[in-house]
Amino acid sequence: MKKGEMLTGFKTMFKHPYRRAAEWKRITGKKVIGCVPMYFPDEMVHAAGALPVALFGSGEPISHADAHLMTNACDQVRSTFDSLLKGHYDFMDGVAALHVCDQVRFFIEVWQLDRPFPFFHQMWRPFKMDGSTRPFLLKELERLKSSLEKLTGNQITPQALRESIESYNESRLLIRAMNDIRSRRPGILGAADTARIIAAGMLMPIEENITLMKQLISVLEREAIDGSERTRIVVAGHPCAVPDADLLDMLENYGLSVIDDDLFSGGRRCATDVILENDPVEALADSYMNALPCTTHHFPSAWMKSGDDHSPYSDHVIEMVRKGNAEAVVILRMMYCDPFDLEFVFLKKRLEEEGIPFLPLVTQHGPVPLESLRTRVQAFAERLKTHL
Amino acid sequence: MIVAGLDIGSTTTKAVILGFGQGFGGFYSDSMKPTGIDMPSVSKEVIGEAAGKVRLSFNDIERIVSTGYGRISVPFRTREMTEITCNATGVRKLYPQATLAVDIGGQDSKVIKMDASGRILAFAMNDRCAAGTGQFLEGAARTLGVSIDDLAKISRESKRKITMNSTCAVFAQTEIVSLITGRAKTEDIAAAVHEAVANRVYGLIRSVNPEPAAQIVMTGGVARNAAVVGSLERMLDREILVPNNPQVVTAYGAALLAEDLG
Ligand code: SF4
Repeated sequence: MKKGEMLTGFKTMFKHPYRRAAEWKRITGKKVIGCVPMYFPDEMVHAAGALPVALFGSGEPISHADAHLMTNACDQVRSTFDSLLKGHYDFMDGVAALHVCDQVRFFIEVWQLDRPFPFFHQMWRPFKMDGSTRPFLLKELERLKSSLEKLTGNQITPQALRESIESYNESRLLIRAMNDIRSRRPGILGAADTARIIAAGMLMPIEENITLMKQLISVLEREAIDGSERTRIVVAGHPCAVPDADLLDMLENYGLSVIDDDLFSGGRRCATDVILENDPVEALADSYMNALPCTTHHFPSAWMKSGDDHSPYSDHVIEMVRKGNAEAVVILRMMYCDPFDLEFVFLKKRLEEEGIPFLPLVTQHGPVPLESLRTRVQAFAERLKTHL
Repeated sequence: MIVAGLDIGSTTTKAVILGFGQGFGGFYSDSMKPTGIDMPSVSKEVIGEAAGKVRLSFNDIERIVSTGYGRISVPFRTREMTEITCNATGVRKLYPQATLAVDIGGQDSKVIKMDASGRILAFAMNDRCAAGTGQFLEGAARTLGVSIDDLAKISRESKRKITMNSTCAVFAQTEIVSLITGRAKTEDIAAAVHEAVANRVYGLIRSVNPEPAAQIVMTGGVARNAAVVGSLERMLDREILVPNNPQVVTAYGAALLAEDLG
């Protein structure tokens, strides 16, 4: 298959996000669980014989959700809830979420009151990750395990869970390989395509994703693009949501190439593996304890080492810039995402101190009013002396 | 070489023509017109007018850099560049020490922070809202039934401080109407309107974290409004420099960049 055909395939999958999952359910007769981004342990759902699919909302204008949610709910939450009210998730058997922020917690509670699903599970993961967190997470994972067993009637054996983790690790490895090609040869894969490929992977059975990713990587390896004249940038921010494709395309049309990112539909999704040493449930718990710095959790131990205003998240972004030999950072700020807004203050300060040029863009879920952003993006590119 | 900078703003289209090189000795000319909907025709007219002032015509222009929100609408441009880059270039040519440029136009306001060498370090623009722009002032003048040119003069008579609560241009109109019905004096409302614009711009300035000792230059149509400039100076506790013809500085910067293209 050619690259173009593959990319069109991913684009179509992302445009009709739940088509494949609904078809899978029809054919297999098994359960589909909608998982609210981010960090839900898909491996556990998979090990129970069900299909975990990420709930990204849709690009459609938000028309139904605002009557049910506060107006300062983030657009990711609004769009997901809107999709629910429009019936896009009706074929699913349940909804599950990890408590990434209070907005997720509130909205899925409203969800359960408004449109109860047969299966509803909230997994608690504390914001503050300290010595008490691991035992707590173990309990939470066990609780999830038994509720999934009850729903599916399948026992989640250690062997089944181990195999699921291995599959997900393989898919993460393949995403890393793809991202690595993109970083070595900017321009080979656009940022919008990359985000769509990774997001589409969360909407299909993991085995299919692995097959597709292997094909894609072999196609990319044969492609002769080196893209060395482009300006290398890192995209940070935008927790949970898949950024607007037109916005990412616009960045690249002005000569900026995204070589690394911090997106859930990007580098964050594949950054850390679940390391299988002993018990697989413990391995999952450990993966949370070893997670990358994020705006939705924090490790006081790392934080207290260097004083109150130390931001491991900012360190992480700066490290991406340095490692990727990037010149600048574009920060996508989703409207009303308070975890990110709080961290943004530190990130901005650190980038200024480090002399790394950055462009913050406030974005919305769904079609972004591009004209209001075009001047900023073009001016930023001019500033970096590209596209002149 | 004869070059033009063309700044197609939401309200006004401005052109600056520069002549330089051997045998010329250098010349400058400018012109402006309301933008309207047919941007290419208005742009040609404005450039033609500016050219006419130095006994040239549109066809004599060798390079055109277009900027402003209509910058991509003119097929005859040599290159398009953003108003951020063009404004900073114009400001620095006029004030080589300037490190903070504040440009307030019809529908947008922007702040550009530069280092000592003129390199742009950061910029900020108003977000999807006309508060803190010329349009806000125009709407207020219309509601108050006074001309936009008189608004600043009238506000000088103000004796009683009123604070406007609305930061949105549309809601501000409603607020002005209710102030009028509440028998507030026109001059006090006018002063409050200027203060509201200055407040928004002040917020924008703060967002780029300017150096305390930055030399500040203000351009754009609103820079002609002494009341807004004065309010901002008080808030910043600093002097703000305003060039003689603040509206054409971005077009001037575009012309300078056109000169550099060679
Ligand atoms: S985008 Fe931000 S506010 Fe919204 S669900 Fe994610 S973390 Fe929470």
